[in-house]
Amino acid sequence: MSTPTLLLVFFAACGAGILLSLVVRPARQGFVLAGLGCLAAVAAVAVGIEGLLTGAVFTQPLWSLPGLTTLMLRLDPLSSAFVVVTGLVLFPASIYAAGELSRDSAPRHKRAFTVMLLALYASIVLILIAGDALLFLLAWEVMSILCYLLVVSAPGGENGQVGSAYLLLAMGEAGTLAAAVGFLLLALGASSLQFDALKSGASALGASVRGAVFLLTFFGFGVKAGLVPVNSWLPRAYAAAPRAFAPVLAGATLNLGLYGILRVNADLLPVAQAGLGQVALIIGTVSALLGILYATTDNDLKTMLAHSSIENVGIVVAGYGAGMVFVATNHPALAAMAFLAALYHLINHSLFKTLLFFGVGAVETQTGTRDMDRLGGLIKWMPLTALGFLAGSLSIAALPPFNGFVSEWLTLQVMLRSAELSSAGAKIVFASCGAVLALTAALAVTCFVKVFAMSFLGMRRLDVERRVNETEPSALASMAILAVLCLAFGVLPTYVIPMLDPASRQLAGASASDGLVPPFFASAPAHDALPVAFAAEFHDLGAQVGQHIVGGRGLVVLHRGGVDNPVIFAMSTSYMLLTLIGLLLLTYIVIRLWLTRTRRLARRERWDGGVRRLLPEMTYTATGFSNPVRVIFDAIFRPTTVEDTSETVAEHFRMAIRREKERVHLVDRLVLQPVSFAMLWFAHSLAAMHRGRINTYVTYAFLALLIALAVLPAY
Amino acid sequence: MSQWVIKGIGTGIKTTAYPRGAERAAGVTPGLPRGGDVGAAAPALVERCLTHALEHTNGVISVDSRRCVHCYRCVRGVGQPLNWEATYEWGSTIATPGLKNELGQPFRRSIHVLVVDAGDCGACLNEVKQLNNPYYNMHRLGFFITPTPRHADVLLVVGPVTDQMRFALRKVHEAMSTPKRVVAVGACALSGGVFAKSFVCSNGVADVLPVDVEVPGHPPPPLAILHGLLVAVGRKQPLPLAAAGYEPT
Amino acid sequence: MNPADLKEQIEGRWPGKTQVGRDVSSSTTEVTCTRAVLADLCRCIFQHWGFGFAGLIVEEDSNAWQLRYVFYGERDAGWVHIVVSAPVADNVFPSVVEWIHAADWHEREAEDLFGVRFDGHPHLGDFVLHNDAWQEDVQPMRHGFDAQAALRHRLPDADWRPRRIVQEPGAFVMPVGPKFSGVTESVHFLLETVGEDVIRSSTRLFYKWRAIEKLAEGKTVDEVLLLAERFAATTAFAHGLAFCQAVERVSGAELPARARALRVFLAEIERLRQHAGAIQGICESTALVVANSQAGLLEEELLRVSGELSGHRYLFGLLTPGGLLCDLPTNACRIALTQSQDILKRLNELERRLSISSSFLDRIEDVGVVRLSAATDYSLVGPVARASGLVRDLRRAQPYSGYETFDYHVPSEQEGDGYARLRVLFAEARQSVRIIEQATAVLKEGDVCKTVEFRPGAALGWVEAPRGGTFHWVRLDEGGRVARYRVVTPSFINWHSFHLAAEKFAFQDFPIILSTFDLSVAENDR
Repeated sequence: MSTPTLLLVFFAACGAGILLSLVVRPARQGFVLAGLGCLAAVAAVAVGIEGLLTGAVFTQPLWSLPGLTTLMLRLDPLSSAFVVVTGLVLFPASIYAAGELSRDSAPRHKRAFTVMLLALYASIVLILIAGDALLFLLAWEVMSILCYLLVVSAPGGENGQVGSAYLLLAMGEAGTLAAAVGFLLLALGASSLQFDALKSGASALGASVRGAVFLLTFFGFGVKAGLVPVNSWLPRAYAAAPRAFAPVLAGATLNLGLYGILRVNADLLPVAQAGLGQVALIIGTVSALLGILYATTDNDLKTMLAHSSIENVGIVVAGYGAGMVFVATNHPALAAMAFLAALYHLINHSLFKTLLFFGVGAVETQTGTRDMDRLGGLIKWMPLTALGFLAGSLSIAALPPFNGFVSEWLTLQVMLRSAELSSAGAKIVFASCGAVLALTAALAVTCFVKVFAMSFLGMRRLDVERRVNETEPSALASMAILAVLCLAFGVLPTYVIPMLDPASRQLAGASASDGLVPPFFASAPAHDALPVAFAAEFHDLGAQVGQHIVGGRGLVVLHRGGVDNPVIFAMSTSYMLLTLIGLLLLTYIVIRLWLTRTRRLARRERWDGGVRRLLPEMTYTATGFSNPVRVIFDAIFRPTTVEDTSETVAEHFRMAIRREKERVHLVDRLVLQPVSFAMLWFAHSLAAMHRGRINTYVTYAFLALLIALAVLPAY
Repeated sequence: MSQWVIKGIGTGIKTTAYPRGAERAAGVTPGLPRGGDVGAAAPALVERCLTHALEHTNGVISVDSRRCVHCYRCVRGVGQPLNWEATYEWGSTIATPGLKNELGQPFRRSIHVLVVDAGDCGACLNEVKQLNNPYYNMHRLGFFITPTPRHADVLLVVGPVTDQMRFALRKVHEAMSTPKRVVAVGACALSGGVFAKSFVCSNGVADVLPVDVEVPGHPPPPLAILHGLLVAVGRKQPLPLAAAGYEPT
Repeated sequence: MNPADLKEQIEGRWPGKTQVGRDVSSSTTEVTCTRAVLADLCRCIFQHWGFGFAGLIVEEDSNAWQLRYVFYGERDAGWVHIVVSAPVADNVFPSVVEWIHAADWHEREAEDLFGVRFDGHPHLGDFVLHNDAWQEDVQPMRHGFDAQAALRHRLPDADWRPRRIVQEPGAFVMPVGPKFSGVTESVHFLLETVGEDVIRSSTRLFYKWRAIEKLAEGKTVDEVLLLAERFAATTAFAHGLAFCQAVERVSGAELPARARALRVFLAEIERLRQHAGAIQGICESTALVVANSQAGLLEEELLRVSGELSGHRYLFGLLTPGGLLCDLPTNACRIALTQSQDILKRLNELERRLSISSSFLDRIEDVGVVRLSAATDYSLVGPVARASGLVRDLRRAQPYSGYETFDYHVPSEQEGDGYARLRVLFAEARQSVRIIEQATAVLKEGDVCKTVEFRPGAALGWVEAPRGGTFHWVRLDEGGRVARYRVVTPSFINWHSFHLAAEKFAFQDFPIILSTFDLSVAENDR
């Protein structure tokens, strides 16, 4: 089907869903949401893939506003890439949300939820395919307000739900305002608000305006993405969001911020100063580190995932930054690689984060808590959920053969390529950011070892009364879909990279596929692009193994440098997977056929030092597991002691030691709190005018009259 | 730090010649009563033994060394003392054929020993600890102490097995992977010693676990424990039962 | 405070409620009082008059309880026994722990084993008899309980939970033992933590409880001597000696001079050996390999000295009431002395090397601190007390076996940390060799044993064992058999304070703190 048809199908599905949900009974809302949501998602994936495959730009004027602009739709490879991710996330999210809705008790909320969610789907895609600034901002506003409503409307909201939603709205609006000003500045040199016009007019802008546009849009859109220092709303809103909505929030709307940054600063007005690119790189790196630090030490499953989102967004933005620097310093191939790595990671993050949110939702519904200190041993009761969650954890911890590994590996490799930069300062920035990102990756492993182990492994810490069952099939199905996608994106990077190539080519002006050589082993002609000796060398290494078994592209990702040193890096998760399977099989065979033929296998209780009964309180808690991180990074966390008392009887009998520490997020401490203090102070000073006495107000009126009389005659 | 290196090297080799040769230094063993013909003094000697380690038939005294707690009442303060032998190769097996094959060849030179204190007075444990000092250095013979039963091949038990340790001891034994051997060290572990039998003590380890090698003595000196371990892995011959003094011949 | 003042003060303060008796031969003041004034009296003696608390002795007559609180002071003050009695049916006594924290574990033990209740004690139960293994109402120390028959029916508490006091989000208990580490005694630690640092630790002892006090009942003196020597064999001679002294005091036996000198000689040989062992333990815990080996060599050599001298490496089978079971040749003693002097030289060298090893000092300094005030309140004994500045040594305070004739010095430190304890161990080893020298010099030919006629009665025997003061209470019945045997050991006293040192520390310091206390589980568990 053609692009317009598919888009029509998408919007029709959303529209029909909204209309249907207004008429059908609340009990059936789930079917509407699942059916039409999935249809819309499929259409989105199809339209996106088509856009990426053809690499063409599709434009469709909608409505001309005289003197202002023409509202138009525009689907280029960059939009297509984002539309594909959105579709991939919305498909399982719709199924999952439908399942959640069936448990929801308030019938009115069911209807409102379905309507708002489908409207949100439409607004998200509309943002991605908007071809002019006005439509973009209008859709953005709609999306922001829907997000707010979806968070605030959930029944049975927890403490601070309204506050969190309000913070989401307020910070989102502030960001939108900044971005809108950025667009206006951009429009200074352009004839209209259409993206094409903006892009062509951009070259006329001066350096200071360019810088202003960058800062306004980078931090404006950064709010939605959750970049430090404008991330304060994110953990709160994620925690307050209803279970059915949180995955969409993390998997789809988060990407819009990243899309905005890329659209303005890499497409419409490519960053020309390497310094600004470095700003992006540093902000991304700091976000990644802070995100993972807070994620590792957080024991609430949902806020932990929120902090981890900040980390992943940081990695993506670091990739952006690298790309911008490479563009500015005229290394288009490297820039293409950087953008490609960033886009790849963005897609991966959407997939595994949505998957993890499904898992967390399942755990919360079954156990009634998200506190890791109170969970434990769930794998016995929820084995399939545990499996899905494990796939998500492996992915996000960047362990092969799952997808997180590929994109983080590419990002780090791109950092290493900074050796080609001429500026020493830039090299230092790249090297330090690369090192911090590597630390982040290591902490991510710690974080998700903790999350999985403390929730699913070990001894059960929940009250015995609470019955825990496997979650419902709809949630399992949506987790399965994403788990398979995570694995697929992990083992078939050679298929994903060419797919994303048009998008990164659009931004960098060069193809990453030329540098990253997936088609190498596809067929003999592909060797043409490479030196013969190099091809032979790789042939000798056996990298062609499997080309007859698995047809299509080669299964090795390798980056080609100069002629002297052709290979900079090479990697294959596909072969890693095969080796892994082979080794596991071999181990199994050795144990089964060889060892156990002569020996008897016996299962024994775990060794516990010989205590009479190992109790759950004798095993590590989540807090205990992550405490080393808390201690090492104490300077960042700066916890304040709320209570440190001990209760003693008869001078020496310790009856209780009570200790509690409280910590405020670094960004809240340094940014949010001062800002809100300043605002409150300002409001208070204004309020001082309102004394509430009639004489004062009469004086105000009199003074106003005097001023009016004095000023008016001047005109 | 170099001072320690120099000091360590300067100390030279202190390690005993055992098991290649015999250890002849004074004070390495308390010895064991040997028994024998003491004639008319026999009933008085048997009477003096408070743990019933001695028996006599026609003036010939036989010794059950598992019961001997080294009180020396059969040699000190008596007119005719019993024979007392300053040997130390005391490890003996409780019969059962097939013992040789149980741990198998691969284990002969690398054995991980788990030591469990089941109510020991501290002496046996201290003597086991001495096996790690340079004089005995059990590592050279391939014996290693491990804290976890998962890695252990030999379970070395000291003490009479108190009530509150019985459960833990069973748990340790259960947690060990096969093949495994149990070495009971010290009179308490063999017979309950002065503590048996009471409401909190067993009559030794055999009440709780199957014992493979016994090392009598109260406490057995390090060399005797070493011999017991070597017996457990089949690198030394067990003490002939007669010489151990279990049964009169 | 001398006994006369004491008598006057007590009778003046609590007229009619107390009866003060005085036994000059054992320099003991025995105060009989009612339950109403017990706590007050104890507070005065312990807190105001500065006596140390030796222990609580519970005895059950055919129809009455007799609780004996034993205190000891400086040399002229002697011993104070506070005795309170009650009919068997009436088993509730006021707890004195509010004033004498040192009595805490004594009361818990008595509650567990006798079923005596102590009104006002904050937490009783689950001490000697673990509640997850025994049911609550078994009272094995009562007269009717058959010590030989195995306990058949059990109803352990299935819902047993460790007592946790740390209330912090995410806090948990790290269980260590009873089987832990390499060659260690069986004991269970519960370390309360939120990860990384341990906030508080508590020790669950008595896994090795062999009930020797129960086993001793009805046995002959010779049989009980075997128990006394063998319940904690690393300090076998000291405990055997304390038992023998108690029996000798009951029976009013006088010892030959040679026996007294030899007892001192052997007791100091044992102290030297045990201190070398403790030093080795500290070196091992800090993972200082060469020092560990060097200390290990010295310990083994001292074991060989004992073995060569007496036939037994732990000095078994030497003691008997009335002297020694056999004579030790003076020549052998001289050889042992020369060997000890040589070993001491190397011990001094080891100390010098340790004192300049910064990596070692980093790990041991300021670790496991016990303050003087705490040491006093817990009435600690031995090197642990002396390292905290509490200079108490029974050899000096209440001399026995002729210690008053020897010239030596009682080393002490002020810091109360691990390093202070180590320095005290080294200094005491030097003093021990000084005493050994003098004991060898005063050895005169003569008898080593006198026959003792056992008489009914009760007496306390005390010895400054290597780990600190030990107190053995022995009551003999008409047949010369032991009716009650109560042992208070230094490890029992010092374990009580271990949690003070093991509070708010890094987990990796735990073995170091433990080793510097030189605690024996066997000695505690009896």
